[in-house]
Parts: sequence; C-alpha cells; structure tokens
Amino acid sequence: MNRIMKLKIQNKTFKQKGFSILNDFELEIQPGERVSIIGESGVGKTSLLNIIGLLDTQYEGSYELFGSAVKELSRNKLAEWRNQKIGFVLQDSALINSLTIEDNIKLPLLYANIEKNPSAQKHFERIVQKIGIEPILKKKPLECSGGQRSRAVFARAVMMNPQIILSDEPTASLDSKNKEKIIDLLFEMNKEFNTTVITVTHDLDVAHRHDRIITLEMKE
Amino acid sequence: MKILHFFITKIFLKRWILVLSMVALLFLANSLSFIAARSIISTFQGYQDVAVFNQEGNFIANLDPDHEAKFDKIDVKDTQKLYDYLNDNYTYAFQADGFGAVLDNEHDMELSFSYINEDAYRINQYELSEGNDLYFDYQVDENQIPVLVGAGLASTYPVGSTIETMDPVTQRVVNLNVQGVLEKNTHRSNFYAPDSKNYFNFAILLPVNEQFIQRAGLDLHVNGLMDLVLLDSTKEEAADLNEYVQENIGLKLNFFSQQENFDYFEAYYANSIKIICAITFVLLVILVGLATWTTLTSVRLMIKEFTINLLVGLSYSKLRTIFYSYFGMLFSVILAVLFIVIAFNRYGYWIRKDAVFATYGLFGLISMDWLALLMVLLINLMIGLTIVELTLRKIKRIPISVGVLQ
Repeated sequence: MNRIMKLKIQNKTFKQKGFSILNDFELEIQPGERVSIIGESGVGKTSLLNIIGLLDTQYEGSYELFGSAVKELSRNKLAEWRNQKIGFVLQDSALINSLTIEDNIKLPLLYANIEKNPSAQKHFERIVQKIGIEPILKKKPLECSGGQRSRAVFARAVMMNPQIILSDEPTASLDSKNKEKIIDLLFEMNKEFNTTVITVTHDLDVAHRHDRIITLEMKE
Repeated sequence: MKILHFFITKIFLKRWILVLSMVALLFLANSLSFIAARSIISTFQGYQDVAVFNQEGNFIANLDPDHEAKFDKIDVKDTQKLYDYLNDNYTYAFQADGFGAVLDNEHDMELSFSYINEDAYRINQYELSEGNDLYFDYQVDENQIPVLVGAGLASTYPVGSTIETMDPVTQRVVNLNVQGVLEKNTHRSNFYAPDSKNYFNFAILLPVNEQFIQRAGLDLHVNGLMDLVLLDSTKEEAADLNEYVQENIGLKLNFFSQQENFDYFEAYYANSIKIICAITFVLLVILVGLATWTTLTSVRLMIKEFTINLLVGLSYSKLRTIFYSYFGMLFSVILAVLFIVIAFNRYGYWIRKDAVFATYGLFGLISMDWLALLMVLLINLMIGLTIVELTLRKIKRIPISVGVLQ
C-alpha cells in the first residue's frame, strides 16, 4: 500500500524555552488509516499535529507528504494543501465569533475560490444536513451550544473533502453524547472517502476506537 | 480582491473603533507631515526666487525695526528730492506691491497694482504666457501706460486692450495698455521671509520711470523705499544713502546684502522652522508609535480571526498583501481627505476674493502642495511598511494552533 506520509524527526527544539521534543521520532501512515496519538501533557502531541498539518516547518528532520518533501514546498503551496488536502477538527472555540456559522463553515471555499461554485454549494448543503446544523447556520458561534459549535468546526474541516483529517482534542469540552457524535462523524468520513484520520486525545476511549495508537513519552 | 473584501467587511470593520482610531492617528500624522513639508518647500522656493538679488554690490533696504518712524511728518517734496538724488547717484531696483484698485473682472476680485522699475523688471525676469515685455520709456501724460496683467485678468483684459482706471498712487485717471499676460502663479517672495509670497494672478504690473515717480504720491515713494535694492554699489555708498534718507525724510533704513538677509532669516525664522520640523518629527514618531500600538493591539484582539484563516488556506504572503492593500486603502482615503482640505483652503482665497493669495493649480492645488503631498505619500509608504511588517512579525510569533483557540 502507498503511504500518505513519512515523517522522520530528529528533534523539535524550542530555543526560547530551552528544551526539545519528538527526539528521533518516526511515523509512517497509510491512506485511510485511523491513528490516535496519546501521551501526557507537554510531550509534543499538538506540536506533532502542527508538523503533520503543515503549520510548523521548524524542526530537524524530513517529512514526506503526498509524495513530496514538505521542506521543499513554498509557503503558498503549504497554504493550498492546508486548504484542500488537510482538514483540521479542533475544539469548539475555533470559530470566528463575528461570522455566522455558515460563513465559518464556508471559509475554506473562499481560499479555494469556489464559494460561488454550485457544486460546492451542494456539497455544503449535504454536509450541514448530514451533521444536522441547518437551524444554526445564520447564528453566531456564541449563540450556539458547545456541541453545535463542535459540529460546525467539523463541517468546516470536511468542506473541501480533505485526504487527511487532523483532530486535536476534538471532544475535550463535550459531553458524552456530543463526543460520540463527533467521533462517529469522523469515522463516517473515513469510511465513505477513505480519509486518513489522525487524532490527538487524552481520552483513552476515543483513542481505542482508532486502528492504531501512538503513545508519546517524555525522554528521560 | 474577494479575500481583501472579506477581511475588510467581515474582520477589520467589525472592530470599527480600532479602524477609526487608526484613521484619526494617521490623518494627524499626514496633516503634520504636509504642513512641515510645504513650509520647507515654500522656503526653498522663496530662496530660489530672491537668490537673483544675492549678488556682490547689491544692498536691500528695510526700515530699521528699532527706529520709531514718523510717517506723518514726511512730505512728498522731500521724498521726491530723495528719488532725484537716487536717480542721479545710484542704480536701483524698485518694486512696490499691494495697491488696491477696483476694476471689473470675471472673478470680481479686488485687484492690486504692483509698480516696478526697469532694473527690478530685468532682474526678476517674470515669464509671460502671451504678449510682450514691458517698456519703460513712455510719457505719463501723453501715452498709454504699458502694463502686464496677471493670468486671472487675461480674459477680461486681453493683450492689446485698454484699461481706463484711477491709478491708486498718482490719483489720476490713466489709460493702461495691456502688453502681456504673466504666467499663472507668478509671485514675489519676501526678501526677509522667503516662505512668504504675494501672487500676481490678479495684479497689474505697471512700469515705473522717473516721470511716473514724479507724478506719484507719498504712498509709492515711501513704500518703494522699504524694499529698494541698490545695485552695483558699495557698503559706503549704501551708508551715505542711509544718511541722506535720515536727514531728509527722517527714516532710518538698514541696507543689507541678500546674503545678510538670508543669514538673518536663518538666525531667526529658519530656527523656528527647524524647531517646527523637530516638533513635527517627534509628534510624527509618537503618532506612528501610537498607530503601531493600535495595530498590534488589534492583532491581539483579532489573532483568532487571522490564525483561523491561516489554518484553512490563507498564506502569510497573502496576509501580507491583505495588510498592504488595507493600509494602502486607509492612506488613500486619508490623502483624499487631506487633498480636499487643501483644495478647499486654496478655494477659500477665491471665495474671500483674496487677490494676493488666489492661485491656479491642478484641481486647485499648486506645485508646492503637490510636492508636499508627494512627500506625505513617501512618509506614508514608510509608515505602512513599518506597521505591516511589525504586524506580520507579531502574527507569525503566535503559533496557529494556539491562536485559533484564543
């Protein structure tokens, strides 16, 4: 099977704070794989997700994504891939409060220059219907519940049909009912489109629903 | 363009108080820069204008500021005697402005007469847009008097036309023949304060010869003395004349070379300009500092908006373009407002019928205004560059994954 990514990190150093993480870390993931990353706080889970999600390129090592060496890609290309190939599912607060839920969800379409495209509009309608957030589309995030906001964040992440979904504690502030819903939605995407799912979590129940669990540990 | 529109309408204008504060600060910075820049340009232009008098052997008269002049004791016979003495013993440039006259013209301006002798005319070399130069060998009582008119009078009094009017200094009806039209915005800079100017757009430039001086009254005689320039002379000859003036009409004049006038200007007025420029610079730094602080505060308040956009596909280079476009628009609006204020100020002279300061220019602005605006534009480029790069630096220092959860 062709791998979707191969990551080899010698270390990720925080010069100002004077420490390094992810020392001699290697990771290879196949398309459609569901991987969870667990570990204690400060071990580098979110940093790893930032590197995988092309938000951080300041590390020692090599990273091959979709067959290309990330360090050789321009900043514009990285932004384009973040827009079209990677979806980020974050906590429910990761929405712009001055925009409506609809505008928040459609934000990736703006950068792909397809916000007026009829098929994009159709895709948007299908997603909001599937996720069940039609009634809140005209509302602002602060007028919605935590569960509704989480689903809106999820909707935004899948708007561009990404090949990889990166989730960072997507259920941290949710009750068990809403937690289940979000994880179900993630795996439905995985099943329907063979989307690779990588989830950083503290929640072992959530972690165990993935195909593989990677545990990060502090170096002595 | 769509992304810029999105940022302006959905992000920046949502915090309109910050935008307004920024516009107010930048407008103040622009206004200050403009005033300072125009003063410098006007002074520089004035220096160039009066530099033609800065020759060896030229001495410019002015009334001694410490002398208490008793103008009411001066008699026209004595001043005539003085001018006869001058004509016999000296070569001098004579020009006296600001004698008001009422003459029909399409702008209903009160006109002013400027009296000039041959040497002053030769040295100043005023440019004409049409017609011929003045000549000075006319007979006051027998001939029409050749005159030049300002650009604002060209259509009412074209070249070749005759003007019958009461001459303000001879107090007699004279027939003036229009020889030529002065270029637009022809002006005379003050010898002692080069940033100050009289414009001749609504002036009639009348040639003065010995005969005319004999017919003229005390006003012209005394006013003419105030800016009299002795040519090809010496310090001793200037001192002799001063003595003669004091003995015969009781006025104490100082005769300085133009270089001494410049030195005087630099010692008093130029220092004031330097102080104004220094204060402007300090204020400008403070205002730019405040504007930068406001922007950085805005970044802190809007970091979530920026980082979420970066997360879903915005690149830092596009964000930089957005910021430059946004500040470009802000500066354009501010410059447009500044332009309107300046144009209205210039137009105000026309509304108030102020013939001495009414000027012509592209959209009402004269060349020094445009140059000052250009300098403001350059300053804006530097301010914009500073603010945008500092803002980008600040945004880049906040990890996207942290910013989105703020």
